[in-house]
Amino acid sequence: MTSRGRVMAALAGSAVDRTPVCNPTSVATVELMDLVDANFPDANRDGEKMARLAATSYTELGFDSVMPVFTIIQESSALGCEIQWEAKDNWPTVRMARPIWQTAEDVRMPSDFLLHPDITCVLDAIRRLRREFGDEVAIIGKTMGPWTLGYHVFGVEPFLLMSIDDPGHTKLCLERMKEITIAFGQAQIDAGADALTVPDHATGDLVSGEYYREFLRDLHTELVDEIPIPLILHICGRTVDRMDYIAETGLAAFHYDSKNDPAESMAIVTDRIALIGNINNPQTLFARGPEDVAGEVIRNLEAGVPLVGPECAIPLQTAIENLKEIPLAVQRWHADQARKGPVRADDQ
Amino acid sequence: MAELTDIPSDFIRAELDEFVEREDERAELIDFYAAVAPHLLEISASIISGRNHDADRLTLEALAGGTPALEVMDGGLIAGMALVGIKFRENFIFVPEVLACARAMKAGMVHIDPILSASGIEPLARVIMGTVKGDLHDIGKNLCIMLLRGAGFEVIDLGVDISADDFIGAVEEHSASLVGMSALLTTTMPNMGHTIEAFIDADLRDDVKIMVGGAPVTPEFAEEMGADAYGDNAVECVEVAKRLAGVGR
Ligand code: B12
Repeated sequence: MTSRGRVMAALAGSAVDRTPVCNPTSVATVELMDLVDANFPDANRDGEKMARLAATSYTELGFDSVMPVFTIIQESSALGCEIQWEAKDNWPTVRMARPIWQTAEDVRMPSDFLLHPDITCVLDAIRRLRREFGDEVAIIGKTMGPWTLGYHVFGVEPFLLMSIDDPGHTKLCLERMKEITIAFGQAQIDAGADALTVPDHATGDLVSGEYYREFLRDLHTELVDEIPIPLILHICGRTVDRMDYIAETGLAAFHYDSKNDPAESMAIVTDRIALIGNINNPQTLFARGPEDVAGEVIRNLEAGVPLVGPECAIPLQTAIENLKEIPLAVQRWHADQARKGPVRADDQ
Repeated sequence: MAELTDIPSDFIRAELDEFVEREDERAELIDFYAAVAPHLLEISASIISGRNHDADRLTLEALAGGTPALEVMDGGLIAGMALVGIKFRENFIFVPEVLACARAMKAGMVHIDPILSASGIEPLARVIMGTVKGDLHDIGKNLCIMLLRGAGFEVIDLGVDISADDFIGAVEEHSASLVGMSALLTTTMPNMGHTIEAFIDADLRDDVKIMVGGAPVTPEFAEEMGADAYGDNAVECVEVAKRLAGVGR
């Protein structure tokens, strides 16, 4: 199987030759930037550098997917939010203290939204990756979900207060922002994306599981109906209390965080949605060595998690050695399983 | 020691019964609420349920009725936020609910602040809070600030992406005795250490106590960097601040 075939099969819940390794958020690191001479912030704004840096997750690390969108702010920039682009060693962000919108009436996609340079660079990068790699590797795009867009355009606190004061109005805002999610997603499909990550940070660190059900479950189902390729929801932090709702949406996959136990998470979602994850970033990938990384890979494999990778955008100072260990550990585990042979019923 | 039934408010009794599980906290809060007048507990109740218009009205009524501002603040506003902090720490409520409670507290404090400053009543201590350079996560820091204010501290919020120089400048400008730094990214965590070094270089390290926090920060890391204390959550932030400032409830 090719890497692409493996990822697409796992996203569809079909059989694979081995578990694919995939990070649907960001795998850029300072070391990788040096290796291909494509640095932040340029690699977040220039399609050629973006593609060059994204390709390293396949060519250098041996992952089965590439992801050219390292940030979560490309569309916010195109909508007019003030952005701090930062330097090589940090991610850019939106200055959320200066929100651009206050009410649902303000929610509007500029007519030239898809022509904004911070949007076109992503489309350009996807086209380049498709030209370079053809059907070899899965190309995953990223379009922000309406909840996270809400943090950026309304500011986190005003947006969360709105959700308490006027849930109806909040839903109207989300409904309108959903069109932005779809437009950017569709443009990436046209450019050649195989699947799309939809980060939508309704995490247990911020809101209750019931919030997810009330504000987002149906909206995510609508995204599935309107976007014709596999969608990967990303929410970091604690999410077990909402995984059942997430599994009801029809989304292809859920990229989950190490704050959730793999076996417990699998027991909740069963085969309704493919989990991706959940190797810890700050404590393990960033601060420990390959042995600990392998341990977490195996915990996921043994729980039956269908796609393995880091939990979220990996820290920029993560050592390449630790990242390379992920596919190596997956391959070793599968080789071991093959050696042991198929489990027979009377073995148990 | 007081009993739960000594608290003159059905609402507060029910809240304590349902949400406060730690024995020490329970006993402390029961003792505290049992000594508060019913009309002030109504203010607490309005804060705990995030009703800002009620907090505003009830605070004004209490002041007009002759209750001293300090008593309204302690028995009504601060008492309310204490329970909110615990409910958040234990995941009974989440960030939107805490924001609504903090807004209610602010609605009451608007009437208290001018009276206290006119009568020269000092805050527990003056605290400078900010998220370090390169980091724009501020939800956790803001919750800490709300509880610090709720506990009687004066807080100067520098916001996000704050350089060492800005922290130092603010300490000098406001003669603050406490600094709190927040970081949520492994890429920005080292900036806490750089800021502490800058305080040393500026010969100011002995004038301030420094506390740090944020999801990736650990007590070990805090110690390594030379911070005076680490706090795991907003309730702990208040406890740590009180300890560093040498004040108790
Ligand atoms: C919400 C969130 C965001 C929001 C931020 C909104 C805002 N205005 O703050 C958005 C979506 C914009 C965002 C952006 C990014 N994020 Co973010 N985000 C989170 C998330 C989901 C929750 C953080 C949060 O607010 N928690 C709730 C609060 C209440 O908790 P808290 O902050 O820990 O604070 C409590 C305590 O720590 C303590 N405390 C906090 N400060 C202080 C200070 C003192 C003095 C004391 C005593 C105590 C204390 O008290 C607080 C209250 O109890 C975390 C995931 C997680 N599990 O933490 C990721 C996370 C922090 N983000 C992450 C990343 C990678 C990013 C981005 C780089 C993504 C990208 N690719 O662009 C950008 C950052 C850009 C930048 N330069 O800052 C990673 C960081 C990885 C790492 N360790 O380096 C995390 C950990 C996700 C993950 N699992 O990998 N993010």
